[in-house]
Amino acid sequence: MNMQTGTAANMRNATGTQAPLIAFDRVMKVYGHGDAEVRALDGVSFEINRGEFVAIMGASGSGKSTTLNILGCLDVPSAGSYRFMGAAVETLDRAQRAMLRQRYLGFVFQGFNLLKRTTALENVELPMIYMGLSARERRKRAREALAKVGLADRENHSSSELSGGQQQRVAIARALVTNPAVILADEPTGNLDSQRSHEIMRLFSDLNQRLKITILLVTHEEDIAAYAPRHMRFKDGRIASDETRA
Amino acid sequence: MYWTIIQLSLRELRANKMRTILTALGIIIGVMAVIILVTLGNGFTAQITKEFEGIGQNLIFVSPDSNNGPNRARVVPFDMRDVDAIRRGVPGIEFVAPSNGSGGRVVYGNVNHDTVVIGSTNEYFKVRLWVFEMGREFTEGELAAGKPVCIIGKTVRDTLFGAQNPLGLKIRVENVSCEVIGLLAPKGQTTFGNDEDDRILMPLRTYQRRIVGNSDVATIQVAVANGQDAQAVIDGLRSLLRQRRSVPEGEPDNFSIDQVSAFLGEVQNVLGIMTMFVGAIAFVSLIVGGIGIMNIMLVSVTERTREIGIRLAIGAQQKDVLWQFLIEAMILGLLGGIAGIVIGLGLSVLITGLMGVPFIPSIGIIVFAAVFSALFGIVFGFFPALRASRLNPIEALRYE
Ligand SMILES: Nc1ncnc2c1ncn2[C@@H]1O[C@H](COP(=O)(O)OP(=O)(O)OP(=O)(O)O)[C@@H](O)[C@H]1O
Ligand SMILES: [Mg+2]
Repeated sequence: MNMQTGTAANMRNATGTQAPLIAFDRVMKVYGHGDAEVRALDGVSFEINRGEFVAIMGASGSGKSTTLNILGCLDVPSAGSYRFMGAAVETLDRAQRAMLRQRYLGFVFQGFNLLKRTTALENVELPMIYMGLSARERRKRAREALAKVGLADRENHSSSELSGGQQQRVAIARALVTNPAVILADEPTGNLDSQRSHEIMRLFSDLNQRLKITILLVTHEEDIAAYAPRHMRFKDGRIASDETRA
Repeated sequence: MYWTIIQLSLRELRANKMRTILTALGIIIGVMAVIILVTLGNGFTAQITKEFEGIGQNLIFVSPDSNNGPNRARVVPFDMRDVDAIRRGVPGIEFVAPSNGSGGRVVYGNVNHDTVVIGSTNEYFKVRLWVFEMGREFTEGELAAGKPVCIIGKTVRDTLFGAQNPLGLKIRVENVSCEVIGLLAPKGQTTFGNDEDDRILMPLRTYQRRIVGNSDVATIQVAVANGQDAQAVIDGLRSLLRQRRSVPEGEPDNFSIDQVSAFLGEVQNVLGIMTMFVGAIAFVSLIVGGIGIMNIMLVSVTERTREIGIRLAIGAQQKDVLWQFLIEAMILGLLGGIAGIVIGLGLSVLITGLMGVPFIPSIGIIVFAAVFSALFGIVFGFFPALRASRLNPIEALRYE
């Protein structure tokens, strides 16, 4: 474990020009057996460098969430290889992958996924609890993160007392607070109206440009994807197009 | 880290007060039952022990018996010569109190009262630890001549005389007119419901001559002197009486010798076993309470699937989730245990008070209850906790 994260940490400290942050090499993901077999991913290869902002698009069932789950070390490929910060994720066990999520990955979900009956501040502190940070450090960093998403005045509101847009900001603060290398967002604006969606996207854009956080974001909508310079389109478990705006 | 998880668990329990109370209820009731039953058992044992000590710890009862072969039908009674022989011939004795008694009617004015009439000597008060509230013992003269005098218990006094000073008053005992010369201090009811104060005493000789018309002695009570071996006294009594009553070698005794302290030991044994038995039944309800924790924790794990998914996604290790649920279950058990102990002790005070039994809480059983309720929390919380920690984060996040 230590060796693996050590490798990853070294990669992170290196200039990073030679090794991409993320590298998918002919990744396959198969669900079920025999007649019920579904090829959710059918040989997907791509690389993503540090600091990129990528929109992942495609029809329903094309494999976007599957890709994001594997990227987030929540799942492993059935075949092929996924290298994250130089480490072959498919060789890691559950605990090691949990460690990668804890240290280097932040998640934002369509359904916000905040803990109920828990204040904004406590929600943002949660990942730091598992990192073993002190209560004082947690509180300080959670406040900073909430300030970054513009919710400094909502610290002690519980999630049920916040609007959808505000809940998603808390979720972004929670993803942000551990200083992750990558934020993965699966349809983060799917439950928001157009105005809130654009507010959230401006926030992502800002985090990417000012804090240089790598962001991978799944969306169905072109105007949401437009915030990202790079667009990857999936079709039937393969990459149909991968374009970066000049 | 673990302190933080404890805080997480406490917050979760606090946020769901109703669920917390319902989950702990089984443990609360189980612990309560154990505490109440064991405390009551202790109280009864202490009460009965005290009563036996009131009779006199090293007291030996000797009475004639018929349980031997040929002359089974006839019980040969003792008489005063046997008593004198015991006084002279058995070492290690402090007092010997011969007595005879039966149910009898006493009359004062137009008040009738049925009581127990006993003929004995002044030793009777010593071996049975009776204290005088007023008046005096029998004189040597009254004893030797069989004078019509009597000493009454409090119940007899209350019934016949009310609050009136009974000393010097004449009552009729069966057919004998008797002067009251003493009043015994009350001992109260025994656990078995006997009223010890409902009795009347007269000199043995008076009883023999005037009431029953024979010279029999029904019971000889022997108090073992301090520091003497009761068994040696019993052996001495047995060989003396066998010889006096001409029991042939090899035949069983035609009298019986019973020792109060031995009897007390037996009663204590039985009560101890009963307390343990009842406590064990209550312990089963504690186990059922533990299973209750498991049930609700399992439901809770399902209910909180999405929460568990979130925790796993943002970096919780499986062991973090395992510990959170385990600690939650342990705190539930412990809280239930503490609540059960407090309520159990409270109710024990109430019940022992109502029953007039001493309240004797046992530290051992309290510690036992606390330890086992926490332990059951862990044992029965382990399976739900394991299940929670093994959830697949992707599926857990998708769970509605
Ligand atoms: N746990 C699973 N078991 C079986 N099949 C699955 C599972 N998860 C995903 N699939 C299948 O894999 C394929 C890709 O699913 P995925 O969730 O990646 O699609 P998506 O692009 O995210 O779609 P959407 O836009 O609807 O979210 C689909 O056909 C889906 O039915
Ligand atoms: Mg999807």
